[in-house]
Amino acid sequence: MSEIYSTLRKPLILGNKSYADVTADIAQPLDRKPSLPWWIAFLVSFSMFILGATAVIYQLFIGIGTWGLNNTVGWAFDITNFVFWIGIGHAGTLISAILFLFRQKWRTSVNRSAEAMTIFAVMCAGIFPIIHMGRPWLAFWVIPYPNMRGPLWVNFRSPLVWDMFAISAYFTISLVFWYVGLIPDLATLRDRTVSKIKKKLYGFFSLGWNGSNKTWRHYETVYLLLAGLATPLVVSVHTIVSWDFATSVIPGWHATIFPPYFVAGAVFSGFAMVLTLMLIVRKVMHLEEYITLHHVEAMCKIIIATAGIVGMAYMTEFFTAWYSGNEYERFTFINRAFGPYAWAYWIMFSCNVFVPQLLWSKKIRTNLLFVFFIVIFINVGMWFERFVIIMTSLTRDYLPASWASYSPTSIEVATFIGSFGLFFSLFLLFARLLPMISIGEVKAVLGYGKNNQQ
Amino acid sequence: MSNNYDNILLERSPDEAPPQRGVNRRDFLKIAGFSFGGALVAGCKPGKVEKAIPFLVKPEEVTPGVSTWYATTCGGCSAGCGVSAKNRDGRPIKLEGITNHPISKGGLCSVGQAHLLSLYDSQRLIRPSKDGQDITWDEVDRTIIEKLDSIKNNGGAIRFLTGTVTSPTVKSLIKKFTENYPTTKHVQYDGLSCSSILDAHEKTHGARLLPHYRFDQAEVIVSFDADFLGTWISPVEFTSAYQAGRTLDEKQPVCSYHVQFESRVSLTGSNADKRVRLSPDEIRKAIQQTASLIAAKAGATSVSSALSGETDSFIKQLAEKLWDARGKSLVVSGGNDVQSQTQINYINHLLGNYGTTVDIEQPSNQKQGNDNELQTLLDEMKNGQVAALFIQGVNPVYDLPIGSQFGEWMKKLQLSVNFTNQSDETESYSQIVCPEPQALESWNDAEPVAGTFTMTQPVIKPFGQTRTVAESISAWMGEKKSSLELIKQEWEKSVYTRLPERNGGQGLQSSTSGFQLFWDSAVYDGFVKLDIPVTKRDFIVGRDAVPTGRVGDSTYNLLLYPKAAMLDGRHAHNPWLQELPDPVTKIVWDNYASVSSATANELGISEGDVVRVEASGTNIELPAHIQPGQHDSVIAIALGYGRKGTDRFTKIGPQWFEAEPTVEEGGLVGKNVAPFIKFENGTFAYDVQSVNISNTGKKHTLACTQEHHSLHVPKYLDPGHGERRPIIQETTFAAFVKNPKAGSFEEHELTTMWTTEDHKYTGHHWGMAIDLNKCTGCSACVVSCQAENNIPLVGKDEVFRNREMTWIRIDRYYDESPNGDITVQHQPMMCQHCGNAPCETVCPVLATVHSDEGLNQQVYNRCVGTRYCSNNCPYKVRRFNWFDYEHGDEMHKLALNPDITIRERGIMEKCSLCVQRIQEVKIQAKKEGRTIRDGEIQPACAQSCPAKAIVFGDMNDTKSELVKQMNNPRHYGVLEEIGVRPSVGYMTLVHNREEGEWAHV
Repeated sequence: MSEIYSTLRKPLILGNKSYADVTADIAQPLDRKPSLPWWIAFLVSFSMFILGATAVIYQLFIGIGTWGLNNTVGWAFDITNFVFWIGIGHAGTLISAILFLFRQKWRTSVNRSAEAMTIFAVMCAGIFPIIHMGRPWLAFWVIPYPNMRGPLWVNFRSPLVWDMFAISAYFTISLVFWYVGLIPDLATLRDRTVSKIKKKLYGFFSLGWNGSNKTWRHYETVYLLLAGLATPLVVSVHTIVSWDFATSVIPGWHATIFPPYFVAGAVFSGFAMVLTLMLIVRKVMHLEEYITLHHVEAMCKIIIATAGIVGMAYMTEFFTAWYSGNEYERFTFINRAFGPYAWAYWIMFSCNVFVPQLLWSKKIRTNLLFVFFIVIFINVGMWFERFVIIMTSLTRDYLPASWASYSPTSIEVATFIGSFGLFFSLFLLFARLLPMISIGEVKAVLGYGKNNQQ
Repeated sequence: MSNNYDNILLERSPDEAPPQRGVNRRDFLKIAGFSFGGALVAGCKPGKVEKAIPFLVKPEEVTPGVSTWYATTCGGCSAGCGVSAKNRDGRPIKLEGITNHPISKGGLCSVGQAHLLSLYDSQRLIRPSKDGQDITWDEVDRTIIEKLDSIKNNGGAIRFLTGTVTSPTVKSLIKKFTENYPTTKHVQYDGLSCSSILDAHEKTHGARLLPHYRFDQAEVIVSFDADFLGTWISPVEFTSAYQAGRTLDEKQPVCSYHVQFESRVSLTGSNADKRVRLSPDEIRKAIQQTASLIAAKAGATSVSSALSGETDSFIKQLAEKLWDARGKSLVVSGGNDVQSQTQINYINHLLGNYGTTVDIEQPSNQKQGNDNELQTLLDEMKNGQVAALFIQGVNPVYDLPIGSQFGEWMKKLQLSVNFTNQSDETESYSQIVCPEPQALESWNDAEPVAGTFTMTQPVIKPFGQTRTVAESISAWMGEKKSSLELIKQEWEKSVYTRLPERNGGQGLQSSTSGFQLFWDSAVYDGFVKLDIPVTKRDFIVGRDAVPTGRVGDSTYNLLLYPKAAMLDGRHAHNPWLQELPDPVTKIVWDNYASVSSATANELGISEGDVVRVEASGTNIELPAHIQPGQHDSVIAIALGYGRKGTDRFTKIGPQWFEAEPTVEEGGLVGKNVAPFIKFENGTFAYDVQSVNISNTGKKHTLACTQEHHSLHVPKYLDPGHGERRPIIQETTFAAFVKNPKAGSFEEHELTTMWTTEDHKYTGHHWGMAIDLNKCTGCSACVVSCQAENNIPLVGKDEVFRNREMTWIRIDRYYDESPNGDITVQHQPMMCQHCGNAPCETVCPVLATVHSDEGLNQQVYNRCVGTRYCSNNCPYKVRRFNWFDYEHGDEMHKLALNPDITIRERGIMEKCSLCVQRIQEVKIQAKKEGRTIRDGEIQPACAQSCPAKAIVFGDMNDTKSELVKQMNNPRHYGVLEEIGVRPSVGYMTLVHNREEGEWAHV
């Protein structure tokens, strides 16, 4: 609390909160019974999840042929969803790790939820590489473990093996980081709750936290170290995911621009998803004083920046294709923009490049309804980005005789819906069981800009 | 019926009983463990354990794991190709061409390849029946002899109605039968009639015969709608001969000039140097025009005929070329009208082709049908003048236009006997069914071309109680001899005695031991070729007597054509052939009404719209297919569909809730269009004038293996570049003679980032070269590969979803010019076994790896099915098991190759360059302590190819044929420029056409 804040800074938390207010505001909803809207939202999400789970079970029993894939198009909805969800996760890590290292105090209001979102998104993402396999019961073969099959080992040249490492590392670190951040709050909950069971559980997970100076010191060191560990993951995970495509020989995939382009896209989509969730949460959970317009604006600015990078990447791809003189490459991009999947391309381009430009206007980015619709568009656009990259390159590659089209089956659509069901179900459970905002960290920034409050 | 088969299966060879779903190794262990535990506790009954009983006394020739080969003759059609049947553990599992066979020269077509599966048809009739009730052969014989005798006493007419009979034994038996029962007459007809060619020769040469065409001798080939590379008379023989006249890689390259006049797009037309689109009537006019021009050159006169300017001037040029190539040209017509065929004879006569390219001295027996005699028989039947009818090898209720009436007439007969072994349309009207065995289970013989005798020998113990036609006829004459005895008897009498002494025979003096030696060698070789005495026949019709062709044209004409593999419908029950993509349209599991692009536009029809086609009181509803290059006035529909019994394919392919059935429940595959055939001027006409076509507004999905049909990218995505993908190298013969590298793509200097070669290939380095100039696109290799490599059936819906499993496919590209003409390229495509394979690096579990002999190997049991390899394959030749695909029913599984693993669902597979064959030869060579001889290893596709377009070999063997091909200036690699180093190379396609005659120019 020794920092000196500029008098020009605006406060991060409104409403002149005391420490007790913060604890009460954030922890009280957990004491109450779930509200009707919560139940409705949960039932809808859980039904979506059950639908998806049924589809996946059907697919596992009958065969992956229940998806719309074919000899030419080996990946479609599956990997699109995978990359989409992995991308979503990136905002959480960026907020919690990078913004932490950059001492961006405003992150404290959103980092908990963003990190939770990361974990749930990575869980959704992780399902797809497993169920997309022809024999998912053998998925563990991509892990290099000592075995009795003689010299059989994984292929370290395969980006899918890199993916396996990248995703599992990402999930582990995100989970640990999130959990470590939760410990002080779990202790707060332990101390507040009257239920014996809850007390036991919160007590167990708060690892005997006693709030002493020493505990805080250790905690903050660990947190800093973990932030340092998680930071490279923001860049590495999506870089590796992009290598799935970039290391191939397929026109439209084989591009060196992919790593930065994918990382920017991931941050872009992640912030859109964080905003989508936060705008709902602050309204429903009455957290307007914690997640303020200032937060929304800050995130909108990141979205404008990353939208610029993504738009630049789209156009650079065209330039590279034209400049390369490679007729296959050229055709792929003309086909992308004007071929049979042009509708998907233009959805992507409009949602990701045109729509975010509206956020340049302060009026629009402070109008929460507008922002909400814009970020929904971005979510849609970023899903289509992955769809376009995968589909247009696979459907029409080198030999025209093997060109093919693709359309999803009901099983694929249901699986896609199911992943959203899983994501929202988990997020809703999270909202009921754990503090949505980091109580400890918010308390630390209460003083920020306080003197300037009217 | 199926129960009977199960019993047979179990009786046959215990160690080869079909896999029972119940007990496998795991279950066995489970059950064993459980029963052991159970016995300890309370003496539970152990589960059923199936025992495999080894041969106590090993039959001679049967060594587990070692195949035996038997020479026999293909029974797929009447062409008489030589077949070597590969037997494993007492059952045939693969058919291959006999290398030095006088007819087929080593190739075998798709029908021949698939004929194997027909042997294991579980719905085949395998015991005699009377009025639908199974009876014994003794009862059959008693009933028939009784009836025949009473008919004989009443003077009733007895008729044999058969397809073309090429068997000398059967012919002589029918003759003998006729002596016994003098009211007998033998009528032959072909489902795909060539009657007019024989009739025309009766007119012009005084003998009703089918010439033996010698395409290898012809420098100029003019075909008027004769699909001689695909379906006409003897396609394997003609393909081989056609390619013999187009050898580019000798010191003196030769390339015949082939012109095809046609109204639909046939396989032959797609290979022609010049393809002229004409309506059926214009084709007849073109024949007449050619005849008159040639006649004028020969100093004779003939009626000329008017054709449009461009065609007219082309025919004038063509006549010049024909005249210049007198004696070395060949003019053929596939049309079945006597007038046109007479003119064709006239042309060939004036050009001096008789005796060179048209052989009537040793004529062909491959088609002997006589439409006139059939018509007489039909009239007799109609008037109730026939007492007894014996039917063999034909299905008149199905393939005659008045089929249903024929069935009614059959009911009135005193005796109707059918030799068919299929429960077909005619069988249901026959009183007595005396099923003959399938070609692979019986002795038979044939004389497809005068002087060439081929042998059919059984390669498996017959299923059930069948009897060959020869045996049945001999039984009814009171002899009861076996087929083997009858054939031996016949050959001793009429073949052995004609054998010249120099061939090791005894001349005219027959001796038993000498005959036995001759017989043994004939059975071993599968054929005997005799020099028979030549009968000279002269052209006897005066030139003025050549009549004019039939004239008459209408807006829309219907053309009925045989589709490669399906022919007249006799193979409709063979799922391999139903699932074989048509060589031109690439559509499977359906017939359809083809219309040209312009006509489709005019009528507002799009692909898959159900159209109603009406002509002369008959109408049919079929899905439309838009066929570039077809004549605008023509609607072409394939014969051979809508066969009874094809409803069995309802359940073919995976069953899941979004799957469409291959055939609607109770429906048939395609529709029968035989009712449109017209009997006109003494022959069956396959083209019909005055046809109405209308859109019904309904839709029917057509499953096609290709979605994009041109090497050009779609025009609207191609701003001004005219991009044509550099995948097929093409040039003209003239340019090739000047510069053997003509047509080559720009050379790319391939750079690599690797400092050392990662693969050393110190031993063998397998590779392949495919000559695009030889490949006709006939698709024999596709079925051959399917049989060899246990490739499953996927059904129509899966093909529609682009999930066909064939390891080799034939890519077919059109170049369409604005006036609607097309040029076509065929390109076989399979795993290219890249030296720098993109699939290998991306597999996370090393399920696809490079062998030290250059093979890209797929390790099935390691594959987890990420499909990344397939995505990263620039050729898209990898095939994924989306479901647990079937290999047909339990019986069909007997045709599986035991050397090849059955792939379960969820794993990737692809061409292995027939690694099992490589290994087999390597082991053999090692046992014999020698090196592998060049050409000793033949992958299934290369072996089957009638054109010998595929060469396999060792790239490290500098003397091999493959290395010779690789050093050929025509050699190139597809997509070489992306640096994958394919081991399969292609050779430039050379057309004998002018620079300007390219549709894409």
